[in-house]
Amino acid sequence: MKLKAKPTSIAVALAIAAFAVFVVDANRGIAPYSWPNIVTFVVVGLSLGGIYAISACGLVVTYSTTGIFNFAHGAIGCFLAFLYWELRINRHWPAPLALFVVIFVVAPALGVALDKLLMQRLRNATLIVQLMVTVGVMLTFMGVTETIWQPNTGRSLPHFFESSPGVKIDGVTLTWHRIITIVLAAAIAFILRALLYRTRLGIAMRAVVDNRSLAGLSGARPGVVSGASWALGCMTAAIAGILIAPETGLVVENLTLVVVIAFAAAAIAQLKSVPWAFAGGLIVGLASGFVEQFVSFGKDWEFAPQAIPPAILLIAVLFLPQARLETGQLRFTRRSERLTKPWEALTGALAMVGIVVAWANGWIPWFWGTHFGQRTPVWLGRGAGFMVTGVIMLSLVPLTGWAGQVSFANFAIAGFGAAMYAKVGGQNGDPMGIVWVVLMCAPLGVLVAIPALRLKGLYLALASVAFADLADFVLFRHPDIISQVANGNLYKPLELFGFRISSNAPDRKAFVIFMAISFAALFFLLEMLRRSRWARRWIAIADSPAAAATVGVNLTVSKIVVFAFSGAIAGFAGTMLGLSTGALQVNSFPFFAGLPLVLLLAVNGVRYPVAAFLAVISLASFPALYEVTHQPTILVSVSLVGPGLAAIAMAYRPEGAVFYAGRDLAGLLPWRRDARAEKAMAAAKAREQDIRRDEIGDLGLTRPFSADKVAQLDRVLDIADELARHPANARERELAEVGDGAALD
Amino acid sequence: MALLSTEDVVVRFGGIRALSDANLEVEPGMVTALIGPNGAGKTTFFNVVTGLHEPDSGRVIFDGTDITRTTPYKRARMGIARTFQKLEAFSSLSARENVLVAAEQRKAWDKSRFSPGAVADELLTRVGITDAAHYMVGTLPTGTARLVELARALAMNPRVLLLDEPSSGLNEEETVGMATLLRALVRDGLAILLVEHDMSFVMGTCEKIFVLNFGQVIAVGSPDEIQGDAVVQDAYLGTVGGRAAS
Repeated sequence: MKLKAKPTSIAVALAIAAFAVFVVDANRGIAPYSWPNIVTFVVVGLSLGGIYAISACGLVVTYSTTGIFNFAHGAIGCFLAFLYWELRINRHWPAPLALFVVIFVVAPALGVALDKLLMQRLRNATLIVQLMVTVGVMLTFMGVTETIWQPNTGRSLPHFFESSPGVKIDGVTLTWHRIITIVLAAAIAFILRALLYRTRLGIAMRAVVDNRSLAGLSGARPGVVSGASWALGCMTAAIAGILIAPETGLVVENLTLVVVIAFAAAAIAQLKSVPWAFAGGLIVGLASGFVEQFVSFGKDWEFAPQAIPPAILLIAVLFLPQARLETGQLRFTRRSERLTKPWEALTGALAMVGIVVAWANGWIPWFWGTHFGQRTPVWLGRGAGFMVTGVIMLSLVPLTGWAGQVSFANFAIAGFGAAMYAKVGGQNGDPMGIVWVVLMCAPLGVLVAIPALRLKGLYLALASVAFADLADFVLFRHPDIISQVANGNLYKPLELFGFRISSNAPDRKAFVIFMAISFAALFFLLEMLRRSRWARRWIAIADSPAAAATVGVNLTVSKIVVFAFSGAIAGFAGTMLGLSTGALQVNSFPFFAGLPLVLLLAVNGVRYPVAAFLAVISLASFPALYEVTHQPTILVSVSLVGPGLAAIAMAYRPEGAVFYAGRDLAGLLPWRRDARAEKAMAAAKAREQDIRRDEIGDLGLTRPFSADKVAQLDRVLDIADELARHPANARERELAEVGDGAALD
Repeated sequence: MALLSTEDVVVRFGGIRALSDANLEVEPGMVTALIGPNGAGKTTFFNVVTGLHEPDSGRVIFDGTDITRTTPYKRARMGIARTFQKLEAFSSLSARENVLVAAEQRKAWDKSRFSPGAVADELLTRVGITDAAHYMVGTLPTGTARLVELARALAMNPRVLLLDEPSSGLNEEETVGMATLLRALVRDGLAILLVEHDMSFVMGTCEKIFVLNFGQVIAVGSPDEIQGDAVVQDAYLGTVGGRAAS
């Protein structure tokens, strides 16, 4: 790895180091820096670090060989650790057998299945779809695990060889579990590295990610290679999960969050080097071990140690080298669509308000049983809450849908908004407080973006995870930010135009209507913004950053503006979030609480403001389903599994519900003649493509292609003219046509 | 003095020299071609000139200013526009919006009075794709999308225009139209540098040709001189037929 240090990088590094020293010094624990203590810290650090290293190596292998970053890595490990518990503890299988079945049978099978069913379809998908599907897999595994092994029963996995005393070094006992962990981690890193660089399969794996169709031509079978890669990934996830469960407890959230730690280690490896991923794991482990041994945060900061991995992740992202502006990433899976006309947007906005007003006033006769969706104070409160999450989702439309920046931090920004509003006006019911919060949250949005402004999209997603996680552990759990004592008294009702808006039962009708109006106004604003030069510029930088730069777009400024705008909307949502719950709890904002919002918006169509409204309905429908069906245990995690499965479906339907509804249903509206013409054109095009595909199929192409077959293919594709004038382009197109069919073998 | 020139530009990819000591000059009022076999370094050269790729050494001079370390968007604002070999149109914007983005961006540096909308409509007419104006570019045929890219580049009112295989994806009729358009543009004083494989297009449209092979300029001259050059024939022209069939 080539390291080029710039003066600014060195200055930032020194500043961070100084800050770290200051934090450690200010919070020194009672343990002196004595030899046994140092040995203990190193042993604890290395054994934790070894587990992180295993997880990170798997993550890096999957990413560097398939190009897909697996957010579900931790959740898969979690599921497999629970499975191991089931076999080993609940069913009393002998440990070697249970280990063999989980690590060498179930894990690889799961990896191959994930690859065949989902991941192979994602290789040409946008980053947004790739991320949504893997996050969907993550939520699904979390939910499935919680459904099978419900959390109300306590479970634990023992350390390996717990009864054996272990080895003593300098008076410090080294348990066998720790020794195994450290040795295993080193062995796995060594084997993976050797596999990638010394074996045929490994070389094929690395070739495939560079150029799939070319690697295919030279005899590698892309399907086999990516299957092997996902199998390996799942095996490392299983090993890491089983080893770490005795430390963290068999708790779904804890085991899933190991993935953030693995992210940090993988980011140190720049997502490509197995040895550096191993080193990264050890660094995170040693940092955690050091803090555990020598640092003692006071009660106010008691969760700070858990923020070490996201902090390291952020720092690693800061030091990544600048990304090149890449070309040749364009995709052609869109249909033509026209912009929403102002009158259509206005009608839509008024309809949204109308529906909510009618419901809140009880004008809609209700027919769903006795309690679902009835205009009770409970449901009025929930309705306001759902509209608030709708506003958070609206904040993602310009950011993710238009500018293509995937951020998981907007829920955390809303959390900040809620906490701040309690201090700058919410405690007196002052409407100006909302304005202040909005103004403060705009720069906060930019803060999330800063580490990633220079980098490609995936790192922004990672940085936003780090931000959300840091905010959760360090800030939201600090009593000065969200006070436990003031619980329930944080906000006074807001007085607007003679209405009282608050979470108190009599004020809830006004609240839900106010939220509907706010939502509809923002919806209309966004639809109009889509017609403006700002939205065009954001879409341009998402579609082709290189081309945008070459027409004079300053990418950095454009991104900063969209992050600030998005942050401001999320901040407004935050004030309402605080007001609608009336109280805040310290653990209200774990990083994955925001994930279902992002997923459901993407599933409904992240580029369209109206998708936020549909996403609100989707979001409400999961708990509703649970209640209507009288709360069966099978649906206990439906709020995780539902959005998860919906997001997984994006592997098959990547564009979002609004897109498909528009394509298939817009023609039914009498005034949409354009949609009907569009549909007829698309159908004709698809028929042509089908015929061509059949003809290519009839050629019976097998690798390696014979000159005779290539000539036949040239004829089918009718590219003689193109070949004479632009051989490279013509051959590439040809490969793409063949690659589609051949890669699925 | 040339409007755009490069001095001893070197780009290495690992151990391979994609460009070694490439010296080129582009003058206004003239169509200049850059030809060479696949992998000769033509697209890399474009990337160096537009700032997408920083050279390992050498200088890029535009209108007397050294722009070797200038960011891409600033170069665009100085008047360097380009199209791409592989399409880089904004595929989820309509054809008209693609051109509008560039025309609106021009407001940031061009203080003359103009309406971006009018500029966009005029350019769509000029390249002949008014019918496609309201279709999303991702749904358009490659040839049409290339013309969108051309209109987008022109919307910046550039001083030098770099075209990467402009006739690729166009049918014969469209290719003739493209040649006519390029001639008209240079008459207005624009400097055009194009990369092209279609030799009849190059020979019929360009005044000056640079031949690139293995990252080095091996010949410079008028179309007639290049066609008669033994070194060029050996390195490039003589093998064209063979390459296409291999």
